[in-house]
Amino acid sequence: MDLETAPSRSAQPDRRSVILRDALFSRRAEVQKSWPELLSSQLLESLGSAAGEVEAFLNGNDSALAPPGPESSGWLASDEDFWGGLYALALGKHLDCRPAAAPPSPLFPADLKRLSPPERFQRLLARYRCPANIAAASEFDVAEELLRQLMVVERTNLEAGRAFDAEGVLLALSLLGIRALITRDLRSFDALNYFFEMPRESLVRFRSNPRLFASWLCLYVQLLSTADWLQ
Amino acid sequence: MIASSIASGARIAAEVEKIAGVEVFVVLCNAGMRPPITRWMREVALLLKSLGGWSPGKLWRDRRAGKLLVLRQTLDDPQSTELIRSLRCDVGLHAANVIYREPTISAFRLGILNAHIGVLPQYRGRSVAEWSVLQGDATGVTVFFIDSGIDTGERIVVRELVPRAGCDSVSKLKRRLFARDAISYRKAIEALMSPGFRTEKNDTSKGLRYFVMSKLLTQAVTGILRAE
Repeated sequence: MDLETAPSRSAQPDRRSVILRDALFSRRAEVQKSWPELLSSQLLESLGSAAGEVEAFLNGNDSALAPPGPESSGWLASDEDFWGGLYALALGKHLDCRPAAAPPSPLFPADLKRLSPPERFQRLLARYRCPANIAAASEFDVAEELLRQLMVVERTNLEAGRAFDAEGVLLALSLLGIRALITRDLRSFDALNYFFEMPRESLVRFRSNPRLFASWLCLYVQLLSTADWLQ
Repeated sequence: MIASSIASGARIAAEVEKIAGVEVFVVLCNAGMRPPITRWMREVALLLKSLGGWSPGKLWRDRRAGKLLVLRQTLDDPQSTELIRSLRCDVGLHAANVIYREPTISAFRLGILNAHIGVLPQYRGRSVAEWSVLQGDATGVTVFFIDSGIDTGERIVVRELVPRAGCDSVSKLKRRLFARDAISYRKAIEALMSPGFRTEKNDTSKGLRYFVMSKLLTQAVTGILRAE
């Protein structure tokens, strides 16, 4: 057969889905077993009233992990602040959102590159007060830039043992986790896989922000529980 | 041919030189990669490993004829750029682990070709063979003229689909794809030399940039390859 015209024979979609699902469920079991090593009881307590919910969620079974994400690709508003919205999405709860007008000033990838880490953190928190908006069609370029910064810049820093912006990385992982949950973008999901596979001594630096750390782990467990990635 | 080792440069040059009327220069670009002793020990080891794919006599003749050049400085150094420009080459072939800046790209009349082990415009960036398998798409090699972005160069010259039957691991699949580089470059040069040939636009809006794949998804890809 001519190489230029011979397509690669692909495994049937259902077979690929089964293989992927098995791998994800196996990782989920690993996360459910090992999360207390990352999120110590002291950190968990620092979450206040949310601690019990986070603990129950991370130990949860399949039925507790079936999140319906907001389906709109337009801009949304919610009465919750960023942290309330993040918790709702991370814990698989319903987040009450309504269509709204997008902010008048767009955020450009170049802005993300130019801002200092604290400025970038605050800008992202303000723009994604309703965190589901990271999945809006208008935010594609920003989400791609966040993914690039994570998987190129921060990954390289972490792997080389250099200093990295732990809070910024956690925020980006949480936003990309939400994007993956809503849009089923496997690349965004895999950023969470990649960072979970980093050496534990790197991950403990995420303890500097227990709220984001807990949200990331909850979002990660949700993503690992999702079976329809290849449909 | 901009190569990071004599062995890879000689291997690709041997294939491209099959085209009548084509003259190939191999520019070895390993300056700054490692300390000189380890760098040249690596060169010798790679040459011995690829024995049979090159002839010591031809290598010697090429060196004497000025067709095998060794850069003393890094590729971006103005002296390197000037040396490459002085060769007055039509096309550069990428076989080095470097990022090209504009002065190097424009030192070639038409630009520098890259044999990307993914199908463009759909799959840009890293781990693209793995991502293609995971998403049930074809695997292949695309030869295109690079620009300063990541697989965003607008002119595609050749795209070949490469079957993955018999590849039961990611490393075997990647070896198969990487091994196509010499033939793909030859086909690209032949295409560029054919009358009326027009490049295809690499429409980046039709694809995505991919990143290094996690161990978890790589493990799933291995499972899929074994099931195919």
